[in-house]
Amino acid sequence: MLEFARYEGRHRVRGSLIMAGGIAALTALYVWMFPSVEASGVDLDAYVEAFPSALVEAFGIRSLGTIEGFLAAELYAFVWVLLLGLYLAYSAASTVAGEVEDGRMDMRLSLPVSRRRIVGEKFLSLLVPIVVVNVLTPIVVYLGVVLVGESIAPADLVAVHALSIPYLLSCAALGLALSVGVDREGRAQRAALGAIFGLFMIESVVSGTDLEPVGGLSPTRYYEPSAILVDGHYDLSGAAILLGATVAIVLASQWWFARKSLE
Amino acid sequence: MSAIEIRSLTKDYGPVLANDDLTFEVEAGEVFGYLGPNGAGKTTTIRTLIGLQSPTAGTATVMGHDVRDEGELIAAKRSIGYLPANPSFDLDATGREVLDLHASIKGDERRAEILEVFDPPIDRPIREYSSGNVQKLGLVQAFMHDPELVVMDEPTSGLDPLMQSRFNEFVRAEKRAGKTIFLSSHVLSEVRRVCDRVGILRDGRLVTVERVESLLDRSGKFVRVRVVGELGADDLDLDGVHDPTANQIEAGPELSGIPDDETITEVTFTFTGDINDLLDRFGGERVLDLDLEEAPLEDVFMRFYGEDPAADRDAGTANPTAVTAEGGDDDA
Repeated sequence: MLEFARYEGRHRVRGSLIMAGGIAALTALYVWMFPSVEASGVDLDAYVEAFPSALVEAFGIRSLGTIEGFLAAELYAFVWVLLLGLYLAYSAASTVAGEVEDGRMDMRLSLPVSRRRIVGEKFLSLLVPIVVVNVLTPIVVYLGVVLVGESIAPADLVAVHALSIPYLLSCAALGLALSVGVDREGRAQRAALGAIFGLFMIESVVSGTDLEPVGGLSPTRYYEPSAILVDGHYDLSGAAILLGATVAIVLASQWWFARKSLE
Repeated sequence: MSAIEIRSLTKDYGPVLANDDLTFEVEAGEVFGYLGPNGAGKTTTIRTLIGLQSPTAGTATVMGHDVRDEGELIAAKRSIGYLPANPSFDLDATGREVLDLHASIKGDERRAEILEVFDPPIDRPIREYSSGNVQKLGLVQAFMHDPELVVMDEPTSGLDPLMQSRFNEFVRAEKRAGKTIFLSSHVLSEVRRVCDRVGILRDGRLVTVERVESLLDRSGKFVRVRVVGELGADDLDLDGVHDPTANQIEAGPELSGIPDDETITEVTFTFTGDINDLLDRFGGERVLDLDLEEAPLEDVFMRFYGEDPAADRDAGTANPTAVTAEGGDDDA
């Protein structure tokens, strides 16, 4: 079992490590910046109050004056919620559509395996980048914070990464569905980027308005790094919703692909 | 039990009817050639047999399993090898990695043996492969699990002549070992060397299914006769003479001994009748030279397809011009 997931997962290791290295460098830069930002004596919270509420909501800005609030806004809201969400949706979008388009899928499907299994294992292989970045980054954050003489609650740090996994999986599931539904790799990738970015924007814009329930469609509603790091509030039901949605979308993608005529 | 059974198989792409009510069988243990020009619909049939695409109507079974039922087909695939028209692999992987993945799922009892026949550089990334090496890797994966039935779409494309003859030899050995081979081609001379029977497809329709020998019999002989005297093409009033031509020629050095003022006629035609009738016909002539050769299969092919594919097209058939234009090198 899991031959495809292992094979594809292996091929994702190198790229995942390179990406994790880049994120580690960015993280180190943010952490290193923080003491001088703090020491400048600028009232960052007053500065944030001048922002439009949608922007504050989009980046989950609570308090830029503490290391937790600073990291939540600069690193997690931007890199995790937006960039990694986009990356996973984009990667997932190429899994099926790319192979169908260039004929590799014909070769895969000549094997005595079900189409559901191929789709399912392709999805599982995306756990490689998710796990790699979520294992390496908290170590870099923790060491960095200690090195600059600050402190951060280890439990909150672990939680902000652990709870990002359902979020990132749901982004990947969305990309997978588009990969099955759209026949051209490039088109599936663009659709995935558009979908994640659009959902991110919708959730930010509708927040605090009458349309707020619409934001419930966006996975960003269920993962809030600043709530975890600043308030120590873990949204476990949000994580459960994201996992449930992930499972539902992956099952639907499998069902869809199993019935599709590849022409 | 037939290895492949195709029943009223139809695939309608809308503007193009790629497979039009096809019915034929491939017997266990035979090598069957599926012939037709590019765009005839060969790939459509093959991809349907592997379960990649669904028929519009009709169905097919491989090793007794219905191709429309994924569960059944998975069981059949354990004993099927498949080589697609343009085999495509992960470019970053090495040949070995791909074969290992295939082996982990379908087995590789014969991998080492087949790698000696077709020898792609399996430790190099596939990105660096020539098209011939990609084709060889495709052949290795198609045969390495010792399947009972191997389905190949244009298997010799991209192979150099040496590899092609090695492939032919390999296919004949597989047949002797009792394996069933179904292969498509648009080159007849390639198929006649390995196939027991051929099915000819044109514009999605099956033109004929017959034994290669009877196809060759029907194709007849190519005849060239040189006689002394004047002879017209119309003078060959003999059953089985096709496309006769007659030309007066100069007596060359090979015809020394013939007086210069003597007329010599060279007659050429395709002959499908009885050779004895032919000899009788020229019995009264002074024959200088007589050549009898097997007609090139390309000529046979032309008889089925006609010089101009548009000329003998049936009304109501899908537009073959469009198929060719859109299909390029690939079948629709």
